Amino acid sequence: MSASFATAWYFAALLFFIGLYCMAASRNLLRQLIGLEVMSKGSLLAIIASGAMSNLSLAQAVIITMIVIEVVVVAAGLVLLVKTYRVTGGVDVWKLSSLKG
Amino acid sequence: MIEYREFLYVAVTLCALAAVMSKNMLTSAISLAAMSVGVALILFDFNAPWAAVFELSVCAGLITVLFISAVSLLRKEEAFFAEDRTRFRLLPLFALIVAIGGWIAGWPFFEALADYARFGARGQSLGSMLWETRRMDLLGQIAILAAGVLVINSVFAVKKAEK
Amino acid sequence: MTISLLQYMLIPLFSALLIPFVARRRGRLAEIFATVTLLAGLINIGWTLLNPAVLASGFSALGEDGFSLLMIFTIYLVGLCVAFFSASYGDGRGVNTAYFYPLLLVSVSAMCGAVTSTDFFTLFIFVEVLAVASFALMTSDDTKEGIEGAVKYYLLTFPASAVIMLGLAVMLLSAGTFSFDSIRIIIYSGTSGPALIFSLALMLLGFLVKSGVVPFHVWTPDAYQGSYAPVSAFLAGIVTKISGVYAVVRIAMFLRLFETGAFRLSEVLMFLGMVTIAVGAIAAMKQDDFKRMLAFSSISQTGYIVLAAGLATPLAFIGAIFHLFNHATFKTVLFLNSASLEKATGTRDMNKLGGMEHAMPWTSWTSVIAMLSTAGVPPLSGFWSKIIIIIALWDAGAVTYAVLALLFSALTLAYFVVMQRRIFFGRKSPAAEAAAEVSPALLAPAVLMSAVIVAAGLLFPYFFSYLAETIASRMVL
Repeated sequence: MSASFATAWYFAALLFFIGLYCMAASRNLLRQLIGLEVMSKGSLLAIIASGAMSNLSLAQAVIITMIVIEVVVVAAGLVLLVKTYRVTGGVDVWKLSSLKG
Repeated sequence: MIEYREFLYVAVTLCALAAVMSKNMLTSAISLAAMSVGVALILFDFNAPWAAVFELSVCAGLITVLFISAVSLLRKEEAFFAEDRTRFRLLPLFALIVAIGGWIAGWPFFEALADYARFGARGQSLGSMLWETRRMDLLGQIAILAAGVLVINSVFAVKKAEK
Repeated sequence: MTISLLQYMLIPLFSALLIPFVARRRGRLAEIFATVTLLAGLINIGWTLLNPAVLASGFSALGEDGFSLLMIFTIYLVGLCVAFFSASYGDGRGVNTAYFYPLLLVSVSAMCGAVTSTDFFTLFIFVEVLAVASFALMTSDDTKEGIEGAVKYYLLTFPASAVIMLGLAVMLLSAGTFSFDSIRIIIYSGTSGPALIFSLALMLLGFLVKSGVVPFHVWTPDAYQGSYAPVSAFLAGIVTKISGVYAVVRIAMFLRLFETGAFRLSEVLMFLGMVTIAVGAIAAMKQDDFKRMLAFSSISQTGYIVLAAGLATPLAFIGAIFHLFNHATFKTVLFLNSASLEKATGTRDMNKLGGMEHAMPWTSWTSVIAMLSTAGVPPLSGFWSKIIIIIALWDAGAVTYAVLALLFSALTLAYFVVMQRRIFFGRKSPAAEAAAEVSPALLAPAVLMSAVIVAAGLLFPYFFSYLAETIASRMVL
């Protein structure tokens, strides 16, 4: 039981790292959204593994809510992408640097 | 002999790597969908069928549709710029370092963490859990869906005004 | 959440869903609807807190959680001021009122949901709702700066949410539940201490990013400076405070229940708070843009709250919560007035402003009151919360922190006095020659908030007894 938990968390941490790296390395807002998606999949795996050890139905309820949150966050991120594109003519986040100090 | 679940974990990780590294955004979106399918299978294996169904329909379906429509929207406008690819080519190396480091340091930590597991109320079904104990979460879902609809609508309203 | 508090969350939500249909043709209706909803809520919560029976019993008649009630009051107060202000401010600026006001109401509703939740996961959901609604608000006038602030906010706040989810996963493992009461009992029973501390640490990390405490403060000034002017007031005054600092204070209340082991985390929290105070105050001095200066000053004030939360004595919590309330009042006034100044003079550059007192007396004097309160001048409300925090630090033996906090408070005061001379007093600048006082509708929120600042300062004994009765004695056991 605990071995399967450790495996799940090991891969969850790996996914989390891959997503974080993608968000840090990329300048493209769309790719950063993909990184965010990978990160949240990592935390989803962590939650189901924890739930299997303690309270599975609570974990399922939590995951369902999390998926709803995730889709709204991604949709809102794409809206932001469209707005960025419309105003600046590109999706390069590094070109957005007028505010400094 | 690799077990079914371990195979799924590896497949999901490979899909994540493909989604992050591929140059073509469309391939990325499809790899992401494949990754979601893998996660849904893992959820089935963990005996969480409802969560798996949600994952399959919403994440593998809806989010992929959203991503692909965004990709096609941007591609038409030739918005893509040449990104420095070396950072992405280095990712497998870093991922490997993290994987090995995690094997040495992370694994014992997670096993120690598992010792703190507390077996909670297992008897409750998902339905009663959602409607009795997690009622506020459902309200939160309504609120976030309302926020999402308003955010999406606000963009299209501007579009109409521009036309 | 108790049923009686549910209304504060549900009514704005319904109202928000109604507005796009009602106000499709006439934008004015959206403003009226939003303002009336918020005003009704404010009167309701004001009556709950301040009706004669409650006052006579010295607040012991209040059944609910005092922290939540005070926060609901603050949320409605700031929400009302911002809604009323933007109704007159937004004329012809390309803001779609049929979506701006619903989003404002959704974020008010989400904040009420967050502060009344009695469960970590519910708190997390409402913080996410708030994040989605507020970054849409930031971009509501479609300027490049607003979008830049929103992109930075998005790229930092949602990874932070993923970290919080990991924390929730550990909590699920080690407690099997998210409810505050059950977690409290589990902590008392002392069985799964280290794992619970680990989960609270992960959540704390996420919420510190969301509140813009110093190593993670990259997004805060840009978001405050870039967004649509009334939204800056809303963000700085209440949104980031509820989505980050409120949760930090809540978690700190749990940390002090552990017998051993959590003190290291509390020390880290105190250290980060102190660094935040210092960095915010020093960075504020180097700014020329009025709004950006206010943003850094807001970061610095957040530091006081985090410092007190890290100390985690009952007196420190009283100070932290009172400072949270005060921060909402004075930062709202300052950001709204910066918007008025910008509208009247067309600039936010402090070098170009000067002698505004002659041209815009009301704006100037309300700003001066708010600045003095920020800097902690008696008898304004900011003085009391800061002095409580410093006394609590001194009492608990954290003398270095107490002295440093006092020092930076004096520094803030000195800087604000210099800045007031630059902007509001002295010789009339060309900008002041051309400017005229803004309309009474734009002044009303600032005047109301200034009245609250003065009243909270003068009636401080009432406030203290409220906080001591409902928070220190009931929640911080």
